[in-house]
Amino acid sequence: MDDVLAPDLISDLPQSIIETILTRLPIRDAVRTSILSSKWRYKWATLTQLVFDEKCVISSNDRCKVEDSLVKFITRTLFLHQGPIHKFQLTTTHLQCCPDIDQWLLFLSRNDIKELVLELGEGEWFRVPSCLFNCKKLTRLDLFRCEFDPPPSFKGFLCLKSLNLHQVLVSPEAIESLISSCPLLESLALSYFDSLALTIRAPNLKYLCLEGEFKDICLENTPLLVAMSVAMYMTDDIAEHFEQSSGCNFNRFLGSVPRLERLIGHIYFTKYLSIGDDLGRLPVTYVHLKVVELNQVSFEDMKEILVVLRLITNSPNLRELQISGSSNTLAAIDAPDLDFWDDQCPSDCTFKQLKLVKMTDMSGVPHEMEFIKFLLANSPALETMSISPCVYVMDGRLNMLIELLRFRRASAQAEILFIQD
Amino acid sequence: MSEVDMAVTKPEMMKSYIWLQTADGSIQQVEQEVAMFCPMICHEVIQKGLGSSKNYAISLPQRVNPAMLSLILDYCRFHQVPGRSNKERKSFDEKFIRMDTKRLCELTSAADSLQLKPLVDLTSRALARIIEGKSPEEIREIFHLPDDLTEEEKLEPLKNTTDDPRIRLLNRLYAKKRKELKERQKLKNVEVEEERVDDRSVDDLLSFINGDGGDSKGIKTSKSKKKNRRRKDQQKSTSTNEAIKNHNKELNGLNSVCCSVEIGQKSWSGVGASSNLHDVEDDIFASKNELDDGEIDDEIDPALKEKIDREVEDFARRLNSDWPERMQEILSFGHERKPVHFSLNGNGSLRRYASM
Repeated sequence: MDDVLAPDLISDLPQSIIETILTRLPIRDAVRTSILSSKWRYKWATLTQLVFDEKCVISSNDRCKVEDSLVKFITRTLFLHQGPIHKFQLTTTHLQCCPDIDQWLLFLSRNDIKELVLELGEGEWFRVPSCLFNCKKLTRLDLFRCEFDPPPSFKGFLCLKSLNLHQVLVSPEAIESLISSCPLLESLALSYFDSLALTIRAPNLKYLCLEGEFKDICLENTPLLVAMSVAMYMTDDIAEHFEQSSGCNFNRFLGSVPRLERLIGHIYFTKYLSIGDDLGRLPVTYVHLKVVELNQVSFEDMKEILVVLRLITNSPNLRELQISGSSNTLAAIDAPDLDFWDDQCPSDCTFKQLKLVKMTDMSGVPHEMEFIKFLLANSPALETMSISPCVYVMDGRLNMLIELLRFRRASAQAEILFIQD
Repeated sequence: MSEVDMAVTKPEMMKSYIWLQTADGSIQQVEQEVAMFCPMICHEVIQKGLGSSKNYAISLPQRVNPAMLSLILDYCRFHQVPGRSNKERKSFDEKFIRMDTKRLCELTSAADSLQLKPLVDLTSRALARIIEGKSPEEIREIFHLPDDLTEEEKLEPLKNTTDDPRIRLLNRLYAKKRKELKERQKLKNVEVEEERVDDRSVDDLLSFINGDGGDSKGIKTSKSKKKNRRRKDQQKSTSTNEAIKNHNKELNGLNSVCCSVEIGQKSWSGVGASSNLHDVEDDIFASKNELDDGEIDDEIDPALKEKIDREVEDFARRLNSDWPERMQEILSFGHERKPVHFSLNGNGSLRRYASM
């Protein structure tokens, strides 16, 4: 079978390349290379990235068996491994509150772990052991469905650049102090927290992603923030809380992010920003803001419209704007304050760089149409304006089109695309 | 401007070239922007000022032969153009990567020596795709890997990192096989010894020749001597002792050999396969020895006994010849889906096959 004269093609490549190749294989295949030939016996053992999931073991309907074999596989792999482990990822729904995970984390904490990703199952949440806080070289931490309780002596992860906590049970003070004590933190993602009130102080933070029920977010010290994506789920309690709050949310959130380039807001973001709006002139101009995406903007609420206007009129370099509406057609037919657009609307602003506008879920209510008219009239560089009507609106579409035809366009090359589903 | 004119009249002046020399001595010139895409060449030009003329050509590392160099330069020529979209680049990469495995490995090596990381990543990904999901034999064949793990090493308990039940079974079979190999060695020695040394005392021989009633005693003595020696040699293998006991007990019975064969057949599908294999072989030796010593039992028809012996030998031979194939089968982790014992269906659930 083997041609004695044919040279071995691959075993003599540098170890770094072999590791690159083995890293791209599922861990099971990588470990199996140990029986290929004598040279390959331990090539896998120095891999610095170990990614475990349920594909490592033979699946079966017996959960206990799968859990058992997964635990054994991981334990043995770690035991046979040589050298530092820089990345450890475990994604499984099978291991609930397994004491072996504690042991693995202890082992990893002694092996210079840099990136740790734990995505565990839906059952009882895994309580992160204290040895995790001894991982001094940690640069990335992703925890899904865990309990996180830093000891009082914890001084922070000094090398941490990326933190992602998803459905993690942790006290707000702990999160705040964790964020503040990681001076190099660049990317922060917090999702599915209940009623979190948070002040974020992260001088190096560049990417922020928030999703969940947030009571109060204040970006106090985030001068380098480049991209932000926020989804706020409002419950009645939170809405009530907002009624009583005194601060201006817009300022608290967008007051000190001069370097912002991308802003994405989902669900109630504009509503959140509209609360406590002081309507004053923003001290900050978003010179770098290029892409704005706001979802579920309610064009019946004058305050929300003002938030949008405030945002885009202070962004001289805005290139792309995407807005999805959420208006209740019936309620908005007799819209108040329609004269706003003629009287108070800033008429001296020009969106010199705005090239692409996408309006989705449009119901054709008066304020929406006025807004579109406003954009068309003040965007000399516009190339594409695409409008997608809301699926529930069937009769009003013709009226929308008729109105659209009348609008003056500042840009001669502007294309208006009306997208039917 | 008149750049175009100048380009027509003196192209060498407008476009800079870098001179490269491959390990085989051939020198070629390459457009500067293309060559500078390789960090190693870039370094040589900037740090050492090489490559500006034929005499000062940059010597490329040995792993870069002219064929590989031309491939790498094609890659650089495409990617160094700044205006390309990601989609274009991806599509180029997909097409570029289509080559035979040998060239792919050479290209990886060459790209690595020129420190061209994006190309190394691309080729590594392609090689990983080739390796993924294949059996060890297939991988060895593709990459011409020597199957040079010694029998011993292969028989070393495979670190069962996948906890594959087949590997556990395999480990146990290997353990038995190892023992068996050792036993066979020792038995061979024993046999050799026995042939050399007929330690029956002169008295015994005399009494046998003279047809004394004492011959049964003599026979018993020599039998027990053999028994003892064997016992000493095979202290580890309790099952073989059992077999001996069985054999010696039922020496007069027709069943003895058939029994072991039956046992062998029944438990071949189980774990104790090779131990019974051993039993069977043991029986062969035992019966041979018995015959050699002339202690033929009168109660068994010699012809029938011979027939039985032949059957046993056949069976043992079959088992032995099957073994390497079975090893391969088991080692190939069920890719051929032959029903050894366990098999994975499409969903990966285990199905146990009835024992053969």
